Amino acid sequence: MAQIEFHGVTKRFDNGQEALANVSAEFGEGSMAFLTGHSGAGKSTFLKLLLCLDQPSRGQILVNGVNVTRMSGRRLAHYRQHLGAVFQDHHLLSHRSVYDNVSLPLRITGMKEKDIARRVRAALSRVGLLEKERLFPRYLSTGEQQRVGIARAVVTRPKILLADEPTGNLDPELSRDIMKLFEQFNQVGTTVIVASHDRDLIESMGVRIIELDQGVIVRDGMDTRRDIEAPPDGDDHG
Amino acid sequence: MAEAEAHKPARRASDPWPPVRPGVGAWWRDHVRIARETAHFISARLGTSLLVWLLVGIALALPAGLYLIQQNLAAMTAAWDGRPGLTAYFDLDASQPAIDAVRSHLEADERVVAVSVTDPESALDEFRRFADLADALDLLDTNPLPASLRATLATEVDLGALTALTSEVSRLEGVSEVVVEKTWLERVSDITAVVSRLGVILGVLFGVGAVLVTSTSVRLAIEARLEELKVLKLIGATERQMRRPFLYFGAFYGLGGGLIAAMLISLCLVIVEAPLSSLLGSYSQELDLVGFDPLFLGSLLLVGGVLGVLGALLAATSRLKDLEIL
Repeated sequence: MAQIEFHGVTKRFDNGQEALANVSAEFGEGSMAFLTGHSGAGKSTFLKLLLCLDQPSRGQILVNGVNVTRMSGRRLAHYRQHLGAVFQDHHLLSHRSVYDNVSLPLRITGMKEKDIARRVRAALSRVGLLEKERLFPRYLSTGEQQRVGIARAVVTRPKILLADEPTGNLDPELSRDIMKLFEQFNQVGTTVIVASHDRDLIESMGVRIIELDQGVIVRDGMDTRRDIEAPPDGDDHG
Repeated sequence: MAEAEAHKPARRASDPWPPVRPGVGAWWRDHVRIARETAHFISARLGTSLLVWLLVGIALALPAGLYLIQQNLAAMTAAWDGRPGLTAYFDLDASQPAIDAVRSHLEADERVVAVSVTDPESALDEFRRFADLADALDLLDTNPLPASLRATLATEVDLGALTALTSEVSRLEGVSEVVVEKTWLERVSDITAVVSRLGVILGVLFGVGAVLVTSTSVRLAIEARLEELKVLKLIGATERQMRRPFLYFGAFYGLGGGLIAAMLISLCLVIVEAPLSSLLGSYSQELDLVGFDPLFLGSLLLVGGVLGVLGALLAATSRLKDLEIL
């Protein structure tokens, strides 16, 4: 069974615009995939629906066989505790140190301070920012801020890691470093889905690529240059 | 494992993964952390916090002050020497048997708890001591003062019964006049009732005011931490966890306001104590002000805290319900 399943998912906004149109896709546990496409293609909507930040107008999103689109309250909160999310603009808290930002997801689980410290330092070490744990985000470069965001997303050892344009503000070299980080997290069993419009970068990674155009999957495969057709419902590319 | 202890899995088929249910230790750690962060947040904005405390404190002090006035008036009138009671003045030529008859009549009345008779000679001696008119009184051939009788009534006897008894005594043989400080008593009684009702009305109004003040302050605190709340919601904080810091805000503001109110009231009591003591002393009564007891001051803190939490709950519930993350 696939870990994540999109079944005929459509998202239509109040103004009538359709961000996703009857999208079906599956992601196996521990898989890695890139969502690509032009601006407005539906990449961010895809991730937002998976994070339950919005609800689809039609269709189902199953995670481990459970429809997550209608979850609310405590169940939704618990679901999100198993996800890691990285965004282009980091969403770091400016009045909290790097350490405090990264420790936030652990604190809401009520973890003991010594365990928090161990986990946070391990995550910061993975992204190469251990020595900057006491600094505030404003004293970090854009790339460093993004790595703090990644550390915060992975510190709970999430089952699924989602990233929306994580390299949008970064130069090519930094972007590659960030992508390598995602690859490393994937190698330890985390399902990783990254939305990016940087075709050159994602094609160099050699992993599954799903291309969206006006809310429709137009390509789905390991190499977009070979123009692989979108698979029928139920195919697992994990 | 320490982490495993904090996370007891509870399987539910409708969840993608077994939900983690924090134990009591985790719950306690969360509260301690939030209390510490709230104290830090408030101390970092001491000017604003002081303003809120003052507003809440004044809002609490006014009805609490009126309550104290009412309590003190009630205590004073209850403790008033000889009150409730009446004084019967006899005719100058009233015979001793007539005086004894009135005395026996009143002693037999169950509304009366004590009867004392002052004969004309004792009255004259007392008059000499207080009026400083010894020389003038020596010039008189006869004692101009009549015998008198003081009857003290049970405290539960109301003004209606006192009026009836006055009328009854005035008809007895040998009684020339019956004096009751009825007008004074009625005034005090009316004032106590007015103050009591005013206290309730102001208590409700200012209580609502205190709730609104803390609610507005908490709302501002929520707006100031909106970005953090969005992140918390994104990473899986429950609504209760997101609301919790603001309930602490409300409690801190309320408790601080209660403390200010207690200080204001104590200050007022200290200020009025000396002149009030002097006033009561002229009526041969000792001052024992109600309001300095720890129970009252503790209650003030408690009421402040509860109102603060209510205000915070009001603000946090409405604002966090529809919080958009991104």
